Amino acid sequence: MRGQRVLVSGMGGELGSLVAAKLEAEPWVGALVGIDVDPPRRRLRKAEFHLLQPSQRERIVDVVTKFNPHVVINLSVWEPDARTGLVHARQFTADATTAIIGAAAECPALESMVVRSGIEVYGRERNAPTRPDETSPVHPTSEYGLMLANIERQAREVGRRVGIAVGKLRLAPVLGKHVPSPLGRLLRQPAVPFSMLADSPFAVIEDGDAAQAFVAAAARRLDEPINIVAPGAITTLQSILRGKRIPLPLFGPEWWVASRLSHVLGAPIPDHVVELMHRGRLADGSKAHEVLGLQPRLSTPEVIDHLYAWESVVRIGSINEAVA
Amino acid sequence: MAQLIDFPVKAATRAGNALVEPLRAAWPIHSVDDFGRDPHLIAALAPFTRLRWNVTVGGESHLPVRTGALLVCNSRRFSLSAIYAALALSEVCDRPVRFVGRPDSAPVGPLMRRLGGLLAQPSDILGALRHHELVMVSADGTSHPRHAGEVPHELIGPAMVAGVPVFPVATMSSTIGRAARVEVGPQVRPRRKRRGPLAEVELAEQVQHHLQKMLDTFGGVRTGVAPIDWLAEG
Repeated sequence: MRGQRVLVSGMGGELGSLVAAKLEAEPWVGALVGIDVDPPRRRLRKAEFHLLQPSQRERIVDVVTKFNPHVVINLSVWEPDARTGLVHARQFTADATTAIIGAAAECPALESMVVRSGIEVYGRERNAPTRPDETSPVHPTSEYGLMLANIERQAREVGRRVGIAVGKLRLAPVLGKHVPSPLGRLLRQPAVPFSMLADSPFAVIEDGDAAQAFVAAAARRLDEPINIVAPGAITTLQSILRGKRIPLPLFGPEWWVASRLSHVLGAPIPDHVVELMHRGRLADGSKAHEVLGLQPRLSTPEVIDHLYAWESVVRIGSINEAVA
Repeated sequence: MAQLIDFPVKAATRAGNALVEPLRAAWPIHSVDDFGRDPHLIAALAPFTRLRWNVTVGGESHLPVRTGALLVCNSRRFSLSAIYAALALSEVCDRPVRFVGRPDSAPVGPLMRRLGGLLAQPSDILGALRHHELVMVSADGTSHPRHAGEVPHELIGPAMVAGVPVFPVATMSSTIGRAARVEVGPQVRPRRKRRGPLAEVELAEQVQHHLQKMLDTFGGVRTGVAPIDWLAEG
């Protein structure tokens, strides 16, 4: 299985760069090609990178079909209010999914595809399972959940038509040092709102663990959905207390005002984050250990601690003005 | 410039610390488990639950020490028997016992989730049983404290799927007083092997039968010998 060609779509993001760096160290990876709208955030030695917009479908198809990968990892997902607003996030994700998955289907060597999804696909409607596992029905109740469910659907259809393995990694909210996340950004505000009546528990995953899951899924030619969740759970109030932020209890209608105010202050709260704070977001991640052998390095409370341990401003030494 | 940008954050953090510190001292900052149960909240509420119920527990040695099990208790209407029985058994067994039947709307639903409540959905029960948890299900509520209601077979099904034992739990509590009793019976084994859904229907009927037998031979809400009994014996 040595000398495999791997294509990573979304290599420019923090998660994509991490996945690429880990793939470079894998003995089974021969050639590595990446596509994204931004250049990779870390130094990659083997990978070849193409700076392409999601709307440049023909060029994407050209790059992908010429490379003719054995494995495609699709990380081109724009979480609403992470790097861009909802409208653009929806558009970019739809364009990238169509182009990448469509192009991958044209590659004769393709054996496996691993797509990024999220536990948002389970939705949090009334009486939805408290801790859904992979057999729970997909019933998204947020915009982000709908976007992810659409990616899963397209990948599944292509997999069935072309006859390849399609692995779907349903990630808990990803937090990491440089990962743009509306949840992480909100929790790091000096004053953080929380639902006084609910304060439901949620789980997250660290970006390094998420990247490891993608590498393991690609190596094992995963052909099913898997939840990637750090063990443990935490509530918003507990996160606020851990981070020594000011808790701002909200009861209901003032959430609208709070989310608008938070948007103005630079931390927009998209509907899936509001849903997480009100209804919680847990998932059963035990299958990841069984199938991928993945044991997350950090538990949910530890990921939250790391979130608060990151410096807001990183000083890289004093500037010598005489020289400047 | 960096210090200028930092200033309001530092000031706000300091203010936040001053505000939150008393709360942090009283409230542990990480206390929910994978299912959202909060042992610290339960410990904090224990004096209040003891104010309402003084529960005597028996037969807990029947329960497995590490593996999962489904417990089925009888329920007099509005007695909250599943809740006090689950809390009392958790304390005695020193491992969480989750009860089934929390609502899914705020504020009661989230509060009951923190106390160890699960939704009355087979998928929720199955998820917990697969993770070797003790899960308490209520039979249908009755108006008489010594009648065991019908046991919902769809909630027994997850035990068959997960391959865990089922135990009847007889409960009795006073409507006005604090006295309450919880008695765990021996494992109910299916009489015959079935491949289809009849297995869970028959097991549910058997559990109801066992519960009724336990309730028929149950004393009052108190155990032991009352002083008046000593006099009678003397």
